[in-house]
Amino acid sequence: MGGGGGGSDSVKLGFVLPFSGTYSFLGESIVNGVKLRLDQQLDGEIDGRTVEYVRQDTGADPSTGASITQEFLQSENVDFIVGPVSSAVAGAMKPEIAGTGSAIWLNANAGNYKLVQDNCTKYHFRTSFNTWQTSAPLASFVKNNVSDNVVLSYANYTFGQQSKNLFREEFESIGGTVVSEIGAPLGTSDYSSFLQEIENSGADAVFSFFAGSDAVNYIKQFSSFGLNETMTQTGSGFLLSADTLQAQGKAALGMYSLLHYTPTKQSDRNQEFVDAYSGQFDATPNVYACQGYDSGLAAEMAVKEAGGTDADTMVDSLSGKELDSPRGYFKFRSSTHDPIMDMDIRQVVEANEGVRNEVVETLSKVEGPTWGCSL
Amino acid sequence: MVFEGIAKTALLGFEMGMTLVLVTVGLTLIFGMMDVINFAHGSLYMLGAYFGLAVVGVTGNWWAALLVAPLLVGLLGGLIEYFSIRPLYGRNPLYHILLTFGFAIMLHGLVTEIWGGQVQNISTPAVLDGSVDLVLFSYPLFRLFVLGVSIAVTAALWLAIRQSDFGIVMRASAHDSEMVDALGTDVNRVFTAVFVLGAVLAGLAGVLLGTARAVDPGMAASVIIQAFAIVVIGGLGSYRGAVVGAFIVGMLNAFGPMFAPQFTDALLYLLMAAVLLVKPAGLFGNPEAT
Amino acid sequence: MGVRDLVGRRFSAHAQTDVLSGRVRLGLFGAGVVAVLFAPVAQVVHPFWMDLVTHMFIFALFALSLDFVFGYAGLLSFGHAAMFGAGGYAAALLIQNVTASALLVLPAAIVVGAVVAAIIGWLSVSARGIYFAMLTLAFAQLFYTIAFNDIPAMLLGVEAVTNGDNGLVGITSLTLFGMDTGSLMSYYYLSLAILAGMLAVVTRLANSPFGRVLQAIRENEDRVAFIGYNVDRYKIVAFTISGAMAGLAGGLWVPFNSTATTSMLHWTTSGELIVMTLLGGMGTLWGPIAGAFLVVFLEDSLSAIGNWEIYLGIVYIVIVIFAPRGLAGIFQTVRKNPHPKVLLRRAGDALTTYREKVFQ
Repeated sequence: MGGGGGGSDSVKLGFVLPFSGTYSFLGESIVNGVKLRLDQQLDGEIDGRTVEYVRQDTGADPSTGASITQEFLQSENVDFIVGPVSSAVAGAMKPEIAGTGSAIWLNANAGNYKLVQDNCTKYHFRTSFNTWQTSAPLASFVKNNVSDNVVLSYANYTFGQQSKNLFREEFESIGGTVVSEIGAPLGTSDYSSFLQEIENSGADAVFSFFAGSDAVNYIKQFSSFGLNETMTQTGSGFLLSADTLQAQGKAALGMYSLLHYTPTKQSDRNQEFVDAYSGQFDATPNVYACQGYDSGLAAEMAVKEAGGTDADTMVDSLSGKELDSPRGYFKFRSSTHDPIMDMDIRQVVEANEGVRNEVVETLSKVEGPTWGCSL
Repeated sequence: MVFEGIAKTALLGFEMGMTLVLVTVGLTLIFGMMDVINFAHGSLYMLGAYFGLAVVGVTGNWWAALLVAPLLVGLLGGLIEYFSIRPLYGRNPLYHILLTFGFAIMLHGLVTEIWGGQVQNISTPAVLDGSVDLVLFSYPLFRLFVLGVSIAVTAALWLAIRQSDFGIVMRASAHDSEMVDALGTDVNRVFTAVFVLGAVLAGLAGVLLGTARAVDPGMAASVIIQAFAIVVIGGLGSYRGAVVGAFIVGMLNAFGPMFAPQFTDALLYLLMAAVLLVKPAGLFGNPEAT
Repeated sequence: MGVRDLVGRRFSAHAQTDVLSGRVRLGLFGAGVVAVLFAPVAQVVHPFWMDLVTHMFIFALFALSLDFVFGYAGLLSFGHAAMFGAGGYAAALLIQNVTASALLVLPAAIVVGAVVAAIIGWLSVSARGIYFAMLTLAFAQLFYTIAFNDIPAMLLGVEAVTNGDNGLVGITSLTLFGMDTGSLMSYYYLSLAILAGMLAVVTRLANSPFGRVLQAIRENEDRVAFIGYNVDRYKIVAFTISGAMAGLAGGLWVPFNSTATTSMLHWTTSGELIVMTLLGGMGTLWGPIAGAFLVVFLEDSLSAIGNWEIYLGIVYIVIVIFAPRGLAGIFQTVRKNPHPKVLLRRAGDALTTYREKVFQ
């Protein structure tokens, strides 16, 4: 199969995302972001071609993700695959997409750096981030502004392990000390005894990776046991992102995190996006919505530049190109097709209703390693 | 330092165990009496949290939620028992697995549909915020409150089962429901009442833990396996077994991270298997009952 | 008194003593013919139907394995995911590192499934009823945590064996006599052939003296023990055979799906399997196959809808209340009362019974 979509006059996007269960909120946010760009702002057309969508629910199951991808590629003839949320699902999808070579994969959330490290494929464009970007660059900020010793706490699965390992490498390379590390099973609901181990470590700061309900449980309990009075909590941005922050509430005050999108970021481009998004969906955009929106931008650019939907031509029209992303600077790195982008260090502060993240420093054009990938 | 640590961990374990009693008691009582394995029990716990969220949203009063949400869950539990479980009595109890599995799936989808998949939380009432100095260490006040409620409920229930007329009928029905029926007590009503009671307790746990923890659609699945483990360790249908089982699992949860933080859930299954290998009907279960 | 007498008397109330009566066999044969003819039609109309039906075949095989031990020996396993996953991971590792030959991979999956089942079965048989279910659940969840945390890699000191929560991905398809089975149609026929073959094997086993003893154990294990049978040994053997089949299903699933992941080992997989078996009608062999077809179909067709679990749950609830013997029961009712009027009356009766039971 060469390129070619559903018809010569259409562009077909396949959403391989969770639409049920815990991650459905993330899936819906990504879809909203894509549709904001393609349906609302472009009236459902790219370069005179009608935009069509197909969607199926992956849950959080890699094998479901793989079979949906197969179906979308072989039976639906999609031009773009948008998704998934989970890195494990992405790992299962990659061989299918690389093997078929008939569609562009806009990876709208899965950050696993190994997607690039092991047999990187040119069809994979990350409209999201990689694990290195959301962990390692925080190290120098922590070392210079917070503490030269940390304890690491993380959800014990691939993503959590990668985040704490990458942070650890960077932190130690600039002379910081990692006192100890504590992994908690994914989906732990009571962190109290893990918190005791964290407290006993005697470190002055904590770097963590937790996400979703784990992040809420961890942060709430961290503060209820008073650890926030003696230690400074820092972490990958998903620890304190817009989708969990309201549930974490005042327990999260003063904590630092690193992420590529912050809805409260002061820039005209972002304000325009926030206004458009909240006007359409009656909600503040979160990082997932931004990743979806950027996927929409990427699809638009690919089709326009390529003058069609041939996958190989579209690869060339995206590689090394910049997107006008609400997050700030964004460029698909030619060697990996990962983004080179601005990263925000944020601190949780009080707001009118509850709390919000405030950008304290923006690290510009963060690249990170290429892991031996040279496309 | 070491002593303080152990004392604090022991209190944590005790607290986790006692809250698990609330979640588990309904499961074990229902099984003991009706042979019903209720897969939807975790969902009732989840609904407690979501109803609590809704009540706080409407009234702005956490105490109202603590009171009303469990009753709403009880009402729903009663409807489920009345309209779907009751017609199945007399059939192979395995069908209850299919039925309650169906409810668990349906409620998971329904909650996501209504409240969204986003993680939420019931905010702690101001009076219960902060922590208490317990000489050796300080401890969050809210957790002490949860512990207090759990102890009170566990003790009250213990007394009720031992002493009250209803408790006697309950135990008798568990032992020989046909005999109780023959003696003129409507066993079906007893069953409904016990189901409602179990649902109310699960709902109560939902409000309490939904305040201490995250509220999301995944909370049902994460609690149900732990609850099953407790019930099985203690012995199905035994109230004492549920309490002891919850206590053991609570301690395991508390002390496990000290030694093997990554493998605390593996320890749970190992413990469950070990107990059943030595005592095939759990610690306090009746080997003849199944 | 031999076990045959015991079972004979028990079963004389049901008209059939033979597992899968002649008419059912005829029906299955017809279904087989339809299945064989289906693929070329699908090829023309919509090739991905073959993908869906292959998915059904594999889960049907998995459901058949549970029905053998659950429907015949009365052992409710809540841990069949362990064997399914073990077979699947074994297949994945073999294909990645050794060979993709179906003649080696599938037997290996069978052996691994059987070994895991033999161990779990041996440890669990002393527990009865629900406790047996819970013990198998505990062992299966242990396997899950072992795979999720990649404990084999830790023990062996290598980077990855199960590869944790990412699982093993990009598994290529099987080869059979040097041919690649990667196309939809060849894998369709491979799965169909294996399902049909295993159905034949299980039917024979169920009708054999061994199968009779298992049924007797289901009905009353104390009496079987009393006449001198080693009940535990029969149970372990039955569980092992069932596990071998579950392992085969796993070994077939992994190359089909190109992934081996921890979800194969999760308790919800075991739970779903029980749902398939009960929904189809346990103890009938063909019922659970139909149940697997229905569940896979529902999940696939509903999953484009948001929060589709609501509807799936409602279907389960309605079926279990109004059609307690599952699809097999519905089918038998329809066969006995072919007139639409009679069927309507039966449906009315079911409603009346429901009302009576609720409002008695």
